[in-house]
Amino acid sequence: MSTTETTATTGDIRPRLRWGVPAYVVLVLVAMALAIAVPKTGYILNISLQATTYAIAVLGLTIVLGLCGQINLAQAAFFGLGAYAVGIGQTEYGLNFWACLLIGTSMAAGFGALLGASTLRLGGHYLAMVTISFQQIVTLVLINWIPVTKGPDGVRAIPRPGFLADGSTYLAFCIAALAGLAFLVWRLRDTRLGRAMRAVRDNELAAGVAGIDVYRTKVTAFALSAILGGIGGGLFAGGFAYVSPDQFSFAESVVFLTMVLLGGVASPIGAVIGTGLLILIPEWLRFLKSIPGLYLAIYGAAVILIVLFMPDGIWGYLRGQLDRFKRAVLPSRTGATLHLSGGGEGTDTVMEVRGLSKHFGGLKAVDEVDLTIRRGGVHALIGPNGSGKTTTLNVLSGLYRATAGTIELNGQDVTDLPPHARTKAGLGRTFQNIRLWRSMTALENVMVGAERPGSPIGNDPAALLARARAALAFVDLEDRADEVVANFSYGHQRAVEIARALAGDPVLLLLDEPGAGLNSSEKVELRNLLKRISARGLTILIIDHDMTLVSEVAQHITVLNFGRRIADGYSADVLKHPDVIAAYLGTAPDVPA
Amino acid sequence: MHLTRRGFTTALAGSIAAPAVIRTAYAQGATVKLGMVVPMTGAAAESGSFAQTGAKIALEQVNKAGGVLGKPLELVFEDDQTTNPGAVLAFSKLASQPDIVAFLGSIRSTQMHAMAPDMLKVGKPVGFGGTDPNLTKLGNPWLFRFRPNDSYSGKVIAQFGAKELGKKKWAIVHSTDAFGTAGGKALAEALPDNGATLALDQGYANQSQDFTPVVLAVRQSGADILGTYFTFETDLGIFARQLRQLGVNIPWVGSPSIVNVSALKLAGPALYNTYGVADYAEDSSPASKAFGTAYRDVRKVAPDNQSSWTFDAVTCLAMAMNKAGSTEPNKVREAMLAIRSHKGAEGEYNFDKNGDGLHGYNIVKNDKGEIKFDKRIDFTPQLG
Amino acid sequence: MDLVLQLLFTGIGIGSVYALVALGFVLIFRATNVVNFAQGEFSMVAAFLMVVFSVKIGLPYWVAFVIALICMAGLGAVFNLAVYYPLRHRTYLPVIISTIGASIFMANTTLAIHGPEPEVLSGWFDTPGFMLGPVYLDNQYVLIIVVTALLVALQYWFFEHTLLGKKLQATSQDKEMASLLGIPVALMIMITFVYSAVIGGIAGILVAPVLFVSIGMGATIALKAFAATIIGGFGDVTGAIIGGLALGVIETFGAAYISVPYKDGFAFLVLIAFLIFRPQGIFGERVAEKA
Repeated sequence: MSTTETTATTGDIRPRLRWGVPAYVVLVLVAMALAIAVPKTGYILNISLQATTYAIAVLGLTIVLGLCGQINLAQAAFFGLGAYAVGIGQTEYGLNFWACLLIGTSMAAGFGALLGASTLRLGGHYLAMVTISFQQIVTLVLINWIPVTKGPDGVRAIPRPGFLADGSTYLAFCIAALAGLAFLVWRLRDTRLGRAMRAVRDNELAAGVAGIDVYRTKVTAFALSAILGGIGGGLFAGGFAYVSPDQFSFAESVVFLTMVLLGGVASPIGAVIGTGLLILIPEWLRFLKSIPGLYLAIYGAAVILIVLFMPDGIWGYLRGQLDRFKRAVLPSRTGATLHLSGGGEGTDTVMEVRGLSKHFGGLKAVDEVDLTIRRGGVHALIGPNGSGKTTTLNVLSGLYRATAGTIELNGQDVTDLPPHARTKAGLGRTFQNIRLWRSMTALENVMVGAERPGSPIGNDPAALLARARAALAFVDLEDRADEVVANFSYGHQRAVEIARALAGDPVLLLLDEPGAGLNSSEKVELRNLLKRISARGLTILIIDHDMTLVSEVAQHITVLNFGRRIADGYSADVLKHPDVIAAYLGTAPDVPA
Repeated sequence: MHLTRRGFTTALAGSIAAPAVIRTAYAQGATVKLGMVVPMTGAAAESGSFAQTGAKIALEQVNKAGGVLGKPLELVFEDDQTTNPGAVLAFSKLASQPDIVAFLGSIRSTQMHAMAPDMLKVGKPVGFGGTDPNLTKLGNPWLFRFRPNDSYSGKVIAQFGAKELGKKKWAIVHSTDAFGTAGGKALAEALPDNGATLALDQGYANQSQDFTPVVLAVRQSGADILGTYFTFETDLGIFARQLRQLGVNIPWVGSPSIVNVSALKLAGPALYNTYGVADYAEDSSPASKAFGTAYRDVRKVAPDNQSSWTFDAVTCLAMAMNKAGSTEPNKVREAMLAIRSHKGAEGEYNFDKNGDGLHGYNIVKNDKGEIKFDKRIDFTPQLG
Repeated sequence: MDLVLQLLFTGIGIGSVYALVALGFVLIFRATNVVNFAQGEFSMVAAFLMVVFSVKIGLPYWVAFVIALICMAGLGAVFNLAVYYPLRHRTYLPVIISTIGASIFMANTTLAIHGPEPEVLSGWFDTPGFMLGPVYLDNQYVLIIVVTALLVALQYWFFEHTLLGKKLQATSQDKEMASLLGIPVALMIMITFVYSAVIGGIAGILVAPVLFVSIGMGATIALKAFAATIIGGFGDVTGAIIGGLALGVIETFGAAYISVPYKDGFAFLVLIAFLIFRPQGIFGERVAEKA
């Protein structure tokens, strides 16, 4: 969570913050004062401590699940690592409370990163199962590694730091910790990292192509989540003075997950609401205790009903209700012009492809294709269906690994680089079937584009924001900057996708059938847009079926058929080439032997 | 589904508000209240219901005899969900009610450890059934144990097996939970004093579906007697059957769960001719017999230690309060420590200065499904 | 050697139990691409129904068996309508949570109705087992192995050689395409849930004589069965069977030769190793996202 880049950005995107932060601080201080001043029974104290420390762990799920979209069914294990570190470290090794908290949190972070590392190859249910396995193994070790963990007896008489020895003071401290961490998680959403996580959640492929290191983002999300689990667990151990393995079982991980879903994954407020309710509800339902099982049965039913009727959780539902009363925000225009450097002055050639092949088993989808893309201007790659155009583009942008051949971008060999590294080297692309991050606003989508690593714009948040707005203005969508892109028309989504690529000021822009699915007036707009981009000096490689569009914008054309290059040259010449005509009319190409 | 989103929200809000309303409607009665932490849900829900029955029988008898200090005695139950945090919350909920004068804790030692700090803070007498010997050595003056602790069960099993049955080569099988680990350790430590040796010390994780490797290890070890500490009856049942199926028929002396009602039902003939140490044996004394009769009237099945300790705890606490003439915690404590030769369902209570009331076990034999009292082995306590 | 054979039989026996429950997982996964975390509770509920009909009411074993399975079919239908179907257009995550909720609900409703006492349910056989050479074979385990084999064969035949089976397969592969072809997708999904509830029920009734009938019986088996499904690869019946058997054998030998208390750990370690080095499972294919 690097704070330098957060402040200005959030300040600009969320102007309400100016009075919001002092109000929040006051609220937290009041809560702390109440925690200290109000006399309470041990029961109230225990339940408040439990809710507060659990909520910190649930915040971790807000990051990993809410922001990054990865399932984690092992949060109780991380909670347990923190708790045991504080317990064993103090009672067995005589370490300081804070040192133990740090050790526990580091251990959790390490294991969290390790779990995150398994996301390299796994997602969805598989990831769920890896986290469950990790959870089970931690539980078994806690029970059976008796010399270290004290086994099923657990660790008792865990002290608190001297000045927090009193229960109420400790509660106030935990509230402060929760408030501080919740604030950080809330701010995380609109940082560069937060946007990257949301991009990974909404569309992993597009995130990689936009320059986000998907893998590192997921590992970071898991590690942050585990850190919060560890902190929560450490504070829990101090609060309850006793820890034992059954407090950190798989069942508790399920409870954590339910908490975050009940409250709403999208916001730390949801995490706090969910935790509070799920700790209080079973307590309230104790009056049903005369029939064993009844209140847990109701709890189970409630979980189903909440998933069915409140998909965004309680806070998501409340937000939805509140938003109806919100006044429309007046669209603002900066009117800034978009500067495209096109990679600056360099050699004549932007991209040099030699002998590129991509085989799927026996199928040669791309077969020894050469391609030279000159700086400035529009280069088109055409060919009939199944000729290997999109495969070529996917190999160029790193989604597929080349079977053979080399790709040089601006003089740099990028053949073996992953997508995000190619983007760093200066590649920008769009997709045939639009890949925007649908739950994010147009501006946020384009912001991620502007944050392309290796972009000449640098890291200044104000400059990045201005850049993103300018890119939206360039495609005439600045008015709708703060709207969620899922509600945009197809043509507008296409435009946002192009703006996202432009915002990163790439060296070369790859457009995968940008005209697909557009109506005729949208196509005219697209043609004009491409001409304007080209006029500013950015090189474009375009794939399209629409020969009118291609012939109007492209100066240079390469034709593929059956994975092989059959023609290459200036547009007018290539379109007259007999092999090309044959390929498009369906007769076999007359390839000289 | 016709439930609309709005309807659901309203229902949710209603259900959240309802308990608060119900709670305030409870009137303060002129009774003496005992709070009891008991599992009603989770893995131990079954034994929890036995424990409640035992306590309720004692309650009825106390009230029939005039109650406590002229007022009727009342029990307040809280569910611990068979978990440690659940137990802590359940106890602190009870502790927050100032009109509760004493408590019954848990039969599970881990839960007692979890609740012990809060029990010290509250400063009112707590009767409990957890058998970890350390519990009465925590320096917590409010804990009173109504079952013999595990150091006794280990000693009794070792002495009975080695001296009475004359078997010297032992295999020990125990659960890896707190109860099983402590028990297995106590038994292993008691072996040398009785001239016996340890051939196998095998732990297992609770709720296993299969015990073949354990049984084979017992068979391979060449032991001539088996001592066990099982926590869950289903585990015991599966183990017992597989033990017999794989042809292991050496004498077997087990911890109290081996004579539990459910264990007898589940394992059936596989447990015939085994011995168990039982803190409760119906034929061990007239007081035990009387409790057995009262219990059968209510539950229609034979009682076991899950219910007998709560019966004794409620009886003793009521007796101590009557003797002290007060519910003031310190006076009740003094009266509890002064209890001598009280004939309870579990045996004869003599509280030592640590709060341990019982100091020996009954040995019982499973005779074709009938639990027969064999003998009682008592050790002399150091009364303070 | 006797020891090894005995352990092998036990491993295969317990592995068949996992495999049987895994069958239900695979079916639902194939039809809906979600994992049903309440699959284990189907087994638990069926075993309790069997106790009620056969032991408490005293119906003949087969009558009780059929009635219990009819009830399970009903439960599967209700489960689909209440827990899965309303969420069919959402991602896998809400469905996972919803099935976890259903699992808590079923376990505790059973607890509320029946009470916590574990029950004994006898099997078909009067004798518990027999000796085959040096190895003791538990009759019930032999039965479980045989029934699992039969059900797998039946399922294979059903999916590959019947029209309904092919329709179900089409539905699982591409719902949109299936509905364009006129296959009633909603009905196909309903059939899947009903069938896997029944399969889960059979598994529960079969293991009851060995593991007893208790509220917690479903949860532990289901977690292992889930692991087995992943080792074998989702979407493939044979894989689930091999995965289940492998898990049972590894667990048993791990317990015998390495450590009994860590027994459950072996299953999960193997699982993690599989997930990292061969995430597509033994037989499954990995489906890559297309650009």
